[in-house]
Amino acid sequence: MDRIPASNGHTNGNGLSSPIANGSSPLGNGVQKHGSSIARVSLPGSTLYDDSYIDRQEFVRLVIQSLRDVGYIESAATLEAESGYSLEAPEVSEFRQYILNASWGSAEALLVRLGVADEESLWEARFLIGQQKYLELLEARKTAAALQVLRNELAPLNVDPDQLHLLSSLMMSSDPEDLRRRAGWDGASGASRQQLLAELQRQSFYSSYFDAFPRVTTMILEVHADEVWNIAWSHNGEYLASASKDKTAIIWRIGSESEPSMRECAPELILRDHPYSVGCVAWSRDDAILLTSADHLIKMWDARSGICLRTLDAHSETVSALTWLPDGSGFISGGLDRKIILWDAEGKQRDSWGITAMRVTDLAVSPDFSRLVSVGMDYVAPTPPAHEFEHGHGRDTSPPISGSGNGASIANVPRSPENWMIIYDLASKQMESSIRLDGELTSIKISDDSRYALFNRSPDEIHLWDLAAGQLVRKLTGQRQEHNVIRSCFGGIDGNFIVSGSEDGNVYVWHRDSGSLLEVLSGHGEGSVNSVAWNPRNERMFASCSDDNTIRIWEVPPTDAFELSSGRADYSQLEPSGKGKGKVNQQWDGA
Amino acid sequence: MGMKYRRYLAGERVYGCATCRTHLATIHSMISRAFNGQHGRAYLFDGVVNIVEGEPNDRQMTTGKHTVRDIYCVKCGATLGWKYDRAYEGSQKYKEGKFILERNLLVDVQ
Repeated sequence: MDRIPASNGHTNGNGLSSPIANGSSPLGNGVQKHGSSIARVSLPGSTLYDDSYIDRQEFVRLVIQSLRDVGYIESAATLEAESGYSLEAPEVSEFRQYILNASWGSAEALLVRLGVADEESLWEARFLIGQQKYLELLEARKTAAALQVLRNELAPLNVDPDQLHLLSSLMMSSDPEDLRRRAGWDGASGASRQQLLAELQRQSFYSSYFDAFPRVTTMILEVHADEVWNIAWSHNGEYLASASKDKTAIIWRIGSESEPSMRECAPELILRDHPYSVGCVAWSRDDAILLTSADHLIKMWDARSGICLRTLDAHSETVSALTWLPDGSGFISGGLDRKIILWDAEGKQRDSWGITAMRVTDLAVSPDFSRLVSVGMDYVAPTPPAHEFEHGHGRDTSPPISGSGNGASIANVPRSPENWMIIYDLASKQMESSIRLDGELTSIKISDDSRYALFNRSPDEIHLWDLAAGQLVRKLTGQRQEHNVIRSCFGGIDGNFIVSGSEDGNVYVWHRDSGSLLEVLSGHGEGSVNSVAWNPRNERMFASCSDDNTIRIWEVPPTDAFELSSGRADYSQLEPSGKGKGKVNQQWDGA
Repeated sequence: MGMKYRRYLAGERVYGCATCRTHLATIHSMISRAFNGQHGRAYLFDGVVNIVEGEPNDRQMTTGKHTVRDIYCVKCGATLGWKYDRAYEGSQKYKEGKFILERNLLVDVQ
């Protein structure tokens, strides 16, 4: 299939002499025109239809993201222009436009502003752009200009000589068709610019974070006798607490040596006094007290001696959330009994939200002390209704047990559809807003800057919510969640990663600001990865816990291992396959 | 496998575990009150939540041979009744996949 354009050639004639293109390529003009000539459509109200609950902006943004994901870039741009709902930072759209318009110079100039900071990734990005430019010139039979790009732009970038040699050999191509075939490249009018964009996106995320990306298991903590359901790091980053179905919580000491093979990790304390499986763990601000929850009970432990200081039984159903206040003056518990209770640091009840509108499945307090965000199920409208809600809703009419009766007793019963996120003003305890969502919500985290909330929504979605703007930023997908309580977290430099467990046994990692799935980390055994936690003091380390009874510590691969490996993405060969019998398995022994 | 919260039921009447009040079934899913268990009167239900099922075994009952498994409360582990996997008599087939909860082990939670 020959896809050379006839008259409407896509080559930017100005590309070489004046790389800061003036939008003179036909494609460029087209796209640009697209963007600016489309009138913004202004619609009344905020829902998709008059009589629907669907938030129009949320809906449209998802459509834009979906269009872009499959490659309908222009349709996405058109919809963005018409709706006025933009998904990307302006620099990112600008950059995308430059690449699609073959405005190579402008694109290169923008790289630094896009946060591609270090020399090496900058070179890499420049090389990819230069290579596309070179190939397009060759395709347009502008051999002299292409040669100039090769000599003056590509060669100085410290490229692999073989690669350069390969590129120069393409000069000998007999015709554009031959060039495309030999280069494995589909031409300026094909998908090559899109592919370049995708590759650049990968490169810049990867390369700017590459050195700090924890993708290798360095330790496996194996002491729990059953599934590990939750984990939390102490604030000093030296201890990890784990909660297990085996009715214990364990405090692990994770040595601070930077070299994993030198590091000692040991179960420091095993907290056994739980009558039920342990669901939550939470460290006080000074790491002196560890809270655990086992069904409806909360226990306060001296984290140094392992002595149980107090057992709190104000909840009548499972406690699903424990979170300390940012100033350490106390903590908040939430439960499936609909209660939200504020306790002081000694474990005395200080305040209460009373019986709230829903069974709380998780809650979080924003670090700036402004908000309490809770997620839950079985929503019942408070009577009398004290607040206006964003969306309409009816009284809870949970359906009775259905009667197909094929033996799968639990699966027979329809899940309650009333799942909500409720945002409270922390100081006044007043409801600020509430959002109804389909599907069970099992985890909520708030970013360090208090701006974003992150929650898992079954099935298979994680939502990033802008608390200030009160809207969905994006959905993250890839991980599996249908039946279990799965938790996610922010992590890395500036909380730029989002990590989640998954029912398929993998750990999923996304780039927060683009939503790109960066990593699917395998290693855990059968069952779910239930929770993940980023080390608060070491952005190069996080932990995950699983139904396989273990906790894995993930770290940045050591530099020498990096140099040994040929390809960037493939670290699998570095990871020892055996799981080891030791209680704490030092993974690097085998590397 | 994995962490799950217990299910909560709603309706006019919800039966819970007498020991720990964990929700088990609603009156809407009740098929019959005319059963007998080890502790007297028992109810047949179409669907039950928050239970753990034991291993299957064959039992000779007044209405013939059945393959059943005991069922336990997911929270406190109390034995609550049993589930019918298989009825050998044709006339008893309607019980398959259904659950017996013993009345004396139940409490109204709502």
